[in-house]
Parts: sequence; structure tokens; C-alpha cells
Amino acid sequence: MKRYFKYIQISLALIMLGSCSDDYLAINDDPNNPTDVAPDLILPVAQKYSVSYNLADRYTNTLGNLFMVNWSQSDEYSWYYDEFNYSVSAAFYGRIWNATYANTLKQYEVLCDLYVEDENSIYDNYIGIAEIMQAYHFQTLVDTYGDIPYSEALERGNNPTPAYDDAQTIYDDLIVKIDNAIALIKATDSDDEVPGDDDIIFGGDMTSWIQFANTVKLRILIRQSDVTSKQADITSGIADIMSEGSGFISADVVANPGYENDENKQSPFYADYGLSVAGEDTNNMLATCASDYIIGYLEDTNDSRIDYLYSVPSTGTHLGVPQGLLDYPTGLYVSDQVSLLGPSLVSSPEQDAPVMLLAESYFLQAEAIQRNFMTGDAQAMYEAGISASFDYLGATGASTYYAQGIANVSWAATPDTDKIEAIITQKWLALNGTNAHESWIEYNRTGFPSGIPVPLNNTNADRPVRLSYPTSEITGNAGNLPDQPDEFTEYIFWHN
Amino acid sequence: MRTKFSGFLTLLLVLIVQLGFAQEKTITGTVLDGDGLPLPGATVQIKGKSIGTQTDFDGKYEITASTGEVLVFTYVGFKTQEITVSNQTTIDVTLSLDAQTLDEVVVVGFGIKKERRELIYNTETVDSEVMNMVQPTTASSGLVGKVAGLQINIQNNGVKPSTQVILRGLTSISASNEAAVVIDGSLTNQNAFDALNPNDIESINVLKGASAAVLYGSSAGNGVLVVTTKKGNKNKKFTVGLNSVATFEEVSYMPEFQTEYGSGWQGDYNPIENTNWGPRFDGTMRQIGPTFSDGSYQSVKYAPIANNLRDFYNTGETYQNTVYFSGGDETSSFYASIGKQSTTGTVPKDTFEKTMFRVNASKTIGNLTLNLNTNYYRDETSVVGSTIGSQDRPLYWFILNTPANIPLSRYSDWRNDFYSSPNGYYNGYYQNPYWALDTNRNNDWTDRFTANLSGSWDPYKWLNVVVRLGLNKVQGHGKEWRAEQTYSTDDMIAFASRPDAVSSFVVDNSSQALTYTADLLATGTFDLNDDFNLKTIVGTTQNTYHYHYNAIQANNLSIPGFYDVSNGTGTPDVVVDEAHTRRYAFLSDITLGYKKWLYANVSARYDYTSTLSKGDNNYLYPGGGISFVLTDAVESLKSDILSFAKLSVNNSTVYNDLSAYRINETYSSSSGFPFGDLAGFALSSQTIDENIKKEKLNTSEITLDLSLFKNRLNVTASAYKIITTDLITAITPSYASGATSYLTNIGELENNGLELSLNGTVLKTQDFSWNLNLNITHQETVVNEISDGVTETAVSTNGSVGVYAVEGEAFPQIKGISYERDDQGRIVIDADTGRPIIGDLKNLGKTTPDYTVGLVSVMKYKGFTLSATLDYRTGHVYYSQLADRMEFTGRSMASVSANRQDFVLPNSVINTGTSDNPVYVENTNIAVTGGLQSYWTDHYNLITENYVFDATAVKLRELALNYSFSPKLLDGTFINKLSLGLVARNLLTWLPKENRFSDPEFNNSNSNAIGIGGYSQSPPTRTFGVNLNVEF
Repeated sequence: MKRYFKYIQISLALIMLGSCSDDYLAINDDPNNPTDVAPDLILPVAQKYSVSYNLADRYTNTLGNLFMVNWSQSDEYSWYYDEFNYSVSAAFYGRIWNATYANTLKQYEVLCDLYVEDENSIYDNYIGIAEIMQAYHFQTLVDTYGDIPYSEALERGNNPTPAYDDAQTIYDDLIVKIDNAIALIKATDSDDEVPGDDDIIFGGDMTSWIQFANTVKLRILIRQSDVTSKQADITSGIADIMSEGSGFISADVVANPGYENDENKQSPFYADYGLSVAGEDTNNMLATCASDYIIGYLEDTNDSRIDYLYSVPSTGTHLGVPQGLLDYPTGLYVSDQVSLLGPSLVSSPEQDAPVMLLAESYFLQAEAIQRNFMTGDAQAMYEAGISASFDYLGATGASTYYAQGIANVSWAATPDTDKIEAIITQKWLALNGTNAHESWIEYNRTGFPSGIPVPLNNTNADRPVRLSYPTSEITGNAGNLPDQPDEFTEYIFWHN
Repeated sequence: MRTKFSGFLTLLLVLIVQLGFAQEKTITGTVLDGDGLPLPGATVQIKGKSIGTQTDFDGKYEITASTGEVLVFTYVGFKTQEITVSNQTTIDVTLSLDAQTLDEVVVVGFGIKKERRELIYNTETVDSEVMNMVQPTTASSGLVGKVAGLQINIQNNGVKPSTQVILRGLTSISASNEAAVVIDGSLTNQNAFDALNPNDIESINVLKGASAAVLYGSSAGNGVLVVTTKKGNKNKKFTVGLNSVATFEEVSYMPEFQTEYGSGWQGDYNPIENTNWGPRFDGTMRQIGPTFSDGSYQSVKYAPIANNLRDFYNTGETYQNTVYFSGGDETSSFYASIGKQSTTGTVPKDTFEKTMFRVNASKTIGNLTLNLNTNYYRDETSVVGSTIGSQDRPLYWFILNTPANIPLSRYSDWRNDFYSSPNGYYNGYYQNPYWALDTNRNNDWTDRFTANLSGSWDPYKWLNVVVRLGLNKVQGHGKEWRAEQTYSTDDMIAFASRPDAVSSFVVDNSSQALTYTADLLATGTFDLNDDFNLKTIVGTTQNTYHYHYNAIQANNLSIPGFYDVSNGTGTPDVVVDEAHTRRYAFLSDITLGYKKWLYANVSARYDYTSTLSKGDNNYLYPGGGISFVLTDAVESLKSDILSFAKLSVNNSTVYNDLSAYRINETYSSSSGFPFGDLAGFALSSQTIDENIKKEKLNTSEITLDLSLFKNRLNVTASAYKIITTDLITAITPSYASGATSYLTNIGELENNGLELSLNGTVLKTQDFSWNLNLNITHQETVVNEISDGVTETAVSTNGSVGVYAVEGEAFPQIKGISYERDDQGRIVIDADTGRPIIGDLKNLGKTTPDYTVGLVSVMKYKGFTLSATLDYRTGHVYYSQLADRMEFTGRSMASVSANRQDFVLPNSVINTGTSDNPVYVENTNIAVTGGLQSYWTDHYNLITENYVFDATAVKLRELALNYSFSPKLLDGTFINKLSLGLVARNLLTWLPKENRFSDPEFNNSNSNAIGIGGYSQSPPTRTFGVNLNVEF
């Protein structure tokens, strides 16, 4: 009997012999998706994310425009209820957190990971760009959420539950991060790869990157201007920028990989608020219109930007809609009767996607000078900011506009004690439609512009000052998640 | 006529049977059972010949035989008896019951046949008659309610319904929990099972747990359905049969709709509204739709129209015809069939057709038997697309967005009738669903070929060697398209609003999957001495899988109505997805028997897989157990009450591996790229544990089998525990880690269950019998642990409601946005608005039933058979997207529950303290604001807890009345068997009062995200029809 077993075993072994080698099982490489990709294929995706997850529907820009009363809702649409009601639960706009970390920052981190301590990489330009852009996004996250994962973030499988860092500590490190990036870029030599068309923001112009880095750094510093303990740091930080010597951005910073009128290839703001690829109106476009407040404000200040920010309805007269209206008067606020988003915001599927407007840089400098962190002519910077905004939108008559004797329009007509209000108010107008989230953050810092209303049927005294941590953190990081702060009273640390 | 036919038959017999038999004579007799009752339908055959007959209703038979020939009497469940013909002309026979079904041989893993008495685990066999009670279109729907521990979810009721087959609940969070299917010994899958013609199935043996299926390796963790197809019998005369079924399907119930309010918004009438937030119905004539430039408009009475949405649906028709042939001689047998099903759906224009061919043949040459089983299947499906309109919605959405006062079925002629046309349709926001039927289509073709060739060789009495090659090839091709639709309001002077323009696309896809299996198995049976018997099985198996899928999507087509990818503009989207895996294993199964009452079994499998990393890709898993037949060990236990008792216990370990290419992180071309020559790749959003390894399932089971009251009642009771550890799970990490999903090994699931199955003969008289099968299942899977710092992970979520695995809770768990409540469960409201404060995501209940009860009843009276299957599931919840949507459209009962006025929310409190130190005071006077509408559409609607309902259901799944003509009556005709029947499925459904929406069994996906359904399916249906079976 034993003999037979042996035969069976031998024959089994013979049959399987050809199969037992390691090669037979070595068929587990994905034929459809690569595992190694060069930096020039990573960078454009990251940069596209940078603008998409601000400008696309219901990310930061949408939120800012609604909170800052730039936009409202046409009749026949039930579109922005949560925003008007300030329903800032964990489910509210969690996509800002989710997309910024899991798309934008992740993709830049692939480039940051090319950096190896004490090793000379040929990708220092790429690493530098990625660090600068990460600093830019991390600041927005801190400004929106306060304490967030930072030092342990973006390690993916190596740390699926990163700890939260103190917001102020992150801010301090962002300055270091930017300084390191500038140093890395400046230390590059001819062996280093220089990005070309794959850098869809500056086309590989590294001086522009340093200027942008300086401007982001200025924004981080100025945001802390009410923090008593930071006064010296701000002064020295700005002095560092000046001594670095490259200066600030000299043009609107925009991204464009080659947007075109094709599915998934339209410029992100146009894709969600403009016409479809087939050239048809979209719901979003018809549902989103000017608020009555912003129309009133622009008309009262004779601001020619009104026709560029908002389209003139079929009636020939601008009409905005109060936010939070429940019972629309019949026919009054239907979409062809109201001011929808204007021709300069929604111009073409190929339009550039703004990263940071030149106007913002001027207003930051104006504030730095006004607060004595920097020397210079605050009024000139202020007026340059307004002019840059008019230029960006294609409007004319900036100098006529700011010559009017209206406070917060004209520098001179604004009392000395209220200059900051004028700067922030003009920044609010300049960032309308493109980077309005920043104006909400500045509102939380300064309380300006003053007088903007809370939506109808909303019982809150003022708008939220931060967002709740998203449901993804409740699910995925419960052990580290801090208590949900009160969204209306617990300010971010830089608020005085 | 009769004599003529007889003569004809005789002639035939003479031709078939050898000529020249001497001393032929007619033998008559009666076949009785042990109680002296006649056995109708027992088979009487002459041994070694293809001559046979059946007993009539009185158990009587008549056969012509010669002296010296042997008559063989057989009847299912009874011992076969053989009697040699001598000089008698009357042979009465009493058949005794088989020593219970325990001597019955069942087919377990790899075509291995085992006696029930030696099985160490619980299996249950369903024969074709019970499965085909109401002539289902797929075998899986014929199993519902019939096996303890088997849960089959019919996930939708389309023309090609998808089913989910789960044995013993869920054991894995991310991996598939669906049972494997083995057809004629070859491992296949659910789709291959659904491609079988139910008429071709001889029996299905359900191997419930991993222990029963350990030899199948990782595929076995979820249990196995072992399907045996009809083979034809040796020595059976040639039979031709026809089975025809015609069934009709109609919507059985719609959601409960309010009928007090119609078209409008915020209480005002609006003629173009999709919602029912208008004023109260007043019966006056009112305008619907826009006013056109010639001043024309439509008017309808402002009153609810009964069944206005239900009338959209048709009565579907299904015709199934199968022609089958079978027969055999001394060394061979065959079975062949051709089946065809043609179906039209309840959704107009939905059609489904399938054609099935099967040829099974077997030939014995000496000690070698060859078997060939082949099946070819083809289907064609045409259904309405699921991405209708600019918002990519399913059809039901458009039907639901039709106010109560709209005569929907009036708008069917959308091409010719102006008010039904895109520009003339009343609804300013959503399109005419009849338009959708013609402008959004999804067409699919599937070809499937399975072949299975095996050789069984018995070189020695103690040795059997089986070689089996299996092939399963599937080819699919699909085309989905949507027509462009633009609108103009130029012709309108009032209420000029139209839906968003719809863009066109066509997607052309094709897929191929090939599975190739090879098994070699040697079985040695040794009687070691009088008491000990050893059965050893050693073998090897190999499985290779190739998959290729490609799809091209072209958008914004140039030529209207021409649906080819060449017609697109811009860059088409192209996807290619491939997979290739290999697995092989060595296996062994050893059973040591003692005196036919004690069996010890040890089985082991050693696996090699291509899908895990090199160091971790080969592993052993063992199983073992004992079967103990008490009544044979201690004969004195046997009595009139207890005739058989068996206890078995087992424990086994099975590992799950990964699917292909899951051990490395990859990049993929990012959406929109390339822009011109600028390419871009994004790192995947899923990160993968670099130490990812196999998932472990450990199963322990104890089973008691009893036969009581002289085998009138058979009881099987099982208890089991399955512990799954190192669960391969895509957990939700912090998104701040830079990933949205983290594939890793986590935690522990514990699945406990009890199964009780009672099979009994309630009544039996000469003409009447009543058999009942009652099966009761209790099952719960609990998450013992997720991982460090993580206490829950989402299987599927949209942020406000989803299916989760939550530590310490039953799995799968629905979590949704909840009310904030005080410690007494009262709802906390906002003192300013009177509206509930929106709480966090809360656990809202498990989505698989705690208890499942199935009842199968078969009553026979003479030629009549009345059979029914009842199914009860309870202890689970589901989230109804339908109810959620009906809130927005103002068609729900909730939306009229407060008369559309502000109201004080009952049982509510306000917090007069702080958020850290709350003080709750009963609210008696703060009314909900926006009770007219906005409270419901904008606030109540956000609290998804409102749409999680008790999923309890009682269904009369099957009801059939069949009449078989007596063989006596057919005697002398060329017809051997004739039966006619009435069949019905889902005739009645009882749901709890809170669920007045849809079938809680419907589900959006075939994944573990069980419990989320609604408008992606059509309303539930019932079917009824007629059945004819005739054999020649």
C-alpha cells in the first residue's frame, strides 16, 4: 500500500513540477498603471489640483463667495440652503479638507519625497516648487480649520492616523518651509532639472517661484499682525524677504495646462459655472447670481467692475437676490431677470485659473506698510491693488474709481484709523469670484468689510469663523481628532 | 385511437428491444411503503434493459417481463429492491425507508462523494423539483427561503436581475462575501450560476461553511453551492421533453404617496413644478406647463390622479421554453437541452433574451468513465440608461419628480404629441420619462461557454483517480448611449423654464474573462480491518484567470442618432483594465471510520498564489472534525421516536488572498490629461500596506442531525462561530495622510450563527400528503476590533449616510446624520427656529437580518401539487433613498404629517444650559419654522436618520399549483409525462408600517454596502403565469 502512495506522490509532483517555480507566480505587475513616474508628469497634476480645488463648484471659492455675500441664488433653484443657513456641520464642505490633503498636498508630497537629507538631488527645483505650494495650501487649511495634522501628515500608509499640530506651530514652520524651498532653488546648478511646460504656473521660471514664495510668506506674516507675540517675527520676516531681493509677484499668478473645450478639460471655474462642452447653459450657472447687497455696494460706489463680475440681465438693469430668501416673489428673481456671474469670471473654457491675484500682493504690502512692518507708500500700494483688480477683470477707470470721495474707496477719504478697513474691503472686492475664501478668512481676522449682512431666515449674529472637522476625520482619525470647536465663536489663533 | 397507439408503441418497443424473447408475460402488482400505503410514481424497471414503467396513484403497475429477469423497484427516499421473476404474475412489493437520508451520498468538494453519515459539517441539498417550484428564470431565485443560513438578495427587479448569494452572513469587510459556485466539479462564480438553465440542474448541495469547503481554498471561505447538472441515466430509454413557462410581471406596490397637495413651491401653485409643494387640491382646472406664444397651454383638474405613476409601468412578459433529451445505454448516458427565455420588463421597452445549450455526456470504458459537460449561454439585454438628463439620474427619479395631479401616462407619444415633446412637456426641471426611454439606452450582450471534461479511473477496487479540466469563458460587449437634447424657451411667454440641456455620449465596451482549472485527485479506500475504514484523498488543483476589459467613451456626438465612437468630438475617454492571476494547491483529505458510527476527518490544503508578495504567497490551511452516529453507537437509543442521531463537530482555517495587482501603489493618468502633449499622472488615492498579507478565517461548527418518528421528521441544527482576523480591508484613513483609502490587514470580525432546519411529513394518507420544510437562521457579525486609533471604517458613504464597520457594533452598520437627543431620547431643537439640531453621524442599525425564517410547503392530492415558499426576515434596517427623494418632491406622507404648517415638534427639548453643561427643558411652544415647506425640504431632509427604516419583510415568494396527469391516463399514448401548472412569485409582501416605500431587499450595489437602495431600481413586482411540462 505504501508503494502506491509513493507512486501517487511522485506523479503529482511530476505534474506540478513545471508550475512550482517562482516565475510561474511572478505575474503580479499591473499592466495598466505604472508604479514609477518622473517628476515632470507629477507636477502639472498637482498644480491643476491647486486651482481646481479652489475654483470648482463647492470648494473654497464657492464658500467664500456665499459667506461674503458676493453670490446668491436665483429663483427656481434650491441650491445653497446649507450655506445660507450656516449649517456648518461635519458634513459641510468636508471636501475642502479631503481634496486638499488627499489630492493636492498628496501629489506635491510625491515631489517633496524626492528630497533626501545630505544628498544632492537633480530635482531640487521640483522639490522647491512643491514645498512652496504645500505652504500655500497648508496656510489655507490652518485658516479654515485651526489645528490640523501637519508634521505627521501625508505619510499615507506609514501613518494613517496623523496627530494634530498646533496652528501657530504650523504657521511658524511654514515660514521655515518656504525659506528652505527658496534656498534649495537658489542652490541649484546646471545638473538640476528645470521644469518647462510641465510647470503650468510659471513655465519653469524659478525667479517667479521665489517671488511667489515671498508673497505667500508675506501673507502668512501679515495674517499674524494682531498676534502680540509675533510682532518682532513679522518685522524680521519681512526684512528677510526684502534682503532676499527677488521681491513679490509682478503679475497675476495663474495656472493653465492648456484648458480646452472638451470633457474634463475645461478651465475649472468655467467647467462648473460656464457653458457645457456642447455650449449649453448649466444649472449651476443659472442658479448662481449676485446678491442684492453686492449689487447695491458696487452701484453705490460707482464701481465699473460690476459689469465684469456680474452679467447684465435681459432687463438691462442689474438685480441681485437677497441671500436666504425662502418665498421668492413670483417671477421676480428667475435666472434671466437677475445678474448671473459676469463675463470676466466666466469668459471661455480656455481661461486661466487664478492661483493668486497681483491685487492681493499689493494689498498685503499696503497693509504691511500701514502697520509699519515695511517701509513704502501704503496709498500707492492700495491704489495699485485696485488698478490690478480692474486690469484683471478687464475693467477701466480704476483711477476715477478710487478718486471718489468715498470711504474705503478713496485712500484719502478714508480716515487714518480706518485704512486697514479700506485695504481689506478692497481686497474683498478684488477677490470676488476668484479667491473669495481668502476674503472670508480676512473678515474673520479683521471684521472687514463691515456691514455685510447675514442671510434672511438665519438666526446667527454673524458668519462662521471656521469650519468643523469633516466626517472623514471622525471616521478615519477619531483618536486624534480634537473636540469640534464652536464654529461661530472659536476663532483661529491669529484673531485678536 | 388507443389501440392504435398501443400498437405503435409495441412496434417501437420491438424495434428498440432485442427480438426473440421467450416466455414473456405480463406482471402486475402494487408498490407499498412501510405503513402499507401505496407509492405512486415508483419506478419499476427490468435490470439491464431500458424497459420500465411507473406506478399509478394506487401504487399499481403493469410490466412485461420474462422469467429470470430481475425487476428493480426504486423510489426516492426508499431502499431499492430487486426481485427475480419466476413463475408468478403478481409481484407486490413493500419498500422500506432508506436508513434516513444519511446513507445518501452527497457531492461535496471537487466532486468527491461522501455518505452523509461521515460528514463532519452541515450541508443541505435542494433538488430540482423544489428549486423549480415556480419555474424561476435563474436557479438562485429558486433557492430563496429554502436553506437555513442561505441568504439570497434579489437586488433589483430588472429584466436581468442581479442577485447576491451569501451563506452564513458576512465574514469580511472589504472582500467579497458571496458564496462560490461549483458546477459539475469546476469552481466558477455567481454569474456562471445565473447562466444555467434551471431545468438542467439535478440538485444543489449547499456547503454552508468554510469547513465543508476547505479543499477549495480561499474561494471557499464564504461557502459553496455545489451544482450537479442532469446527466441522463444509464439504461434509460430515450426521452424528449418540453418545459414551457409563460409569466406576467406587474408592479405590486408603489410607495405610499400623499394625495392632498400638488404642483407648486412654498405653498404657491406653479404649473411647471416637479414638486408637490403647491396649495391643497381644490378640483379646479389649472394650467400645467408653460404658456406658449400663441397663448395656448394645457389644463388639468387640480386633483390627485390615482396610480398616475404606477400607470407608467407595463405588464412584463416572460416566455421560457426548454426542450431536453436524455437517455442512455449500458455504458453511456447523455442529457442535452436547448432553452430560450424572452422577457419584456415592467419598464417599457426593456427587453432581455437568453439562449442556453447544454450537452452532458458520459461513457464508461472498462474501469474508466469519461464525462463531458458543456454549456453555452448567450444573452441580449436592452434597458433604459441609468444616466438620464444632465444630472445623470436613473429613470425612477423622473417618475418620482411628477406631481400627483399630472396624468403621466398621457405623455407617452413624445415624438408626435407637442405636450409630450421636450419643449412642450409641462415639467420645467426634469424630462419626460417616456422621452428617456428612447433617448438613453444601455445594450449588452454576453456570451459564455463552460466546458468541463473529466475522467474517472478505477484501476483497483480501492483506488479512484479523477482528472478534471474546466474552462469558463465569458465575452461581454456593451453599448450605452444618450442622445443630445437642447431646449428653447423662445416659444414661451410665461413659465418659460426648461431642464438643463443634455449632452450626448456613447460608450462602447467589451470584456473577456477566462478561467481555466485543472484538478487531479486520487481517492484510496481501505478497509483496515473489520472495524476500521480509511479513505484518503490526495490531489492537486490549479486555477488560472485572465481578464481584459476595454471601454471607449465618445462625447458630444456630431450626427444625431448615430451611436458609434467615431461620431464623438474632442478626445474620447479610453480605459483598459486587465488582470491575470494564478493559483495552485496540493490538498489532502483523510477520513478514518470506525464501525460506521465514528468518523474522524482531517483535511489540508497548501496554496500558492500569484497575488501576494513572494514571502507570503504560500501557506497551509488545515481542517478537521469528528462525526458520531449516536444511534448506531448505542443501538438502544433507537426507538419509535428516535430513529437516527448524529453529532458532528469541526474546526477549520481558510485564508483569503488578494485580487491581482493590489500589493503595489500605482499611478494613473489624471482626469483631463493629456492636455495636448502635456501628460500627467496622479498617485492613487489608495495607499497599500507594504506588509499586506492574507486574511484568516477560522470556523468552528457543531451540528446535530436527528430523524424522528420513523423518519417522518428530520431535524438538523447547527451552531457556528467564524472569527476573521487580519481582514484585508480598505479602511478609511485620515485624509490628512494623503490617502482616502488604506488597504491593510485589520482587526477582527466575529460571526455567530444558529441554523435549524426541520423537514417533515405533516400528513400522509393514501391520496394526500403534506410536507413542510421550516428553516430558521439567526446570524450576527460583530466587529471586535478595527485597528489602533481607528474604531470604524466606511464600506461606502456619501458623507451623510453610509455603510460602515464600527468597532463593537454589528456589521454591516448604517450610519447616518441623526437628531441630537437628550438622555431621555427627546429631540433637541434650536430655540430660535424650533427645528431639530442636526446631530452627528450615528449608528442606526445593521443591514443583514438577525432572523431569517423560510417555510416550504408541498401538498399533494392525487395529481395535484400545491406548493408555497414563505420567507421572513427581520432585525435589520435599510436606508431608503426613495423616501429621501420623496421628501424633496413633497410626495411623502411625512410632508403632510403636520398639515404643512409650523408646528411644535412632539417630544422635543431645548437646551437652556451651555453646550458643555446642557440643561434640557421640554419644548411646549416653540414651533418649527418653515413648516410650509423649507423645514421638510431643507432641514428634515438633511437628517438621514429619517430614512432608515425597519427592513423586516414577509414574502410569499412562491406559490404553485400543478397537475400531473396520471401515468395510467397517458398509458397507450406517446406521452409519458404531462403536467400543467399555475405559478406565482412574490404574490404577497408584508412590510412594517414605517416602510411604505419599496422592497428593502433591493440594493444599489453588489458589494458589502448592503442596505442602501431606492430609486435606482424600479418598483417591486409580482409575477404569475402558467407552466406546461410534457415528456415523450
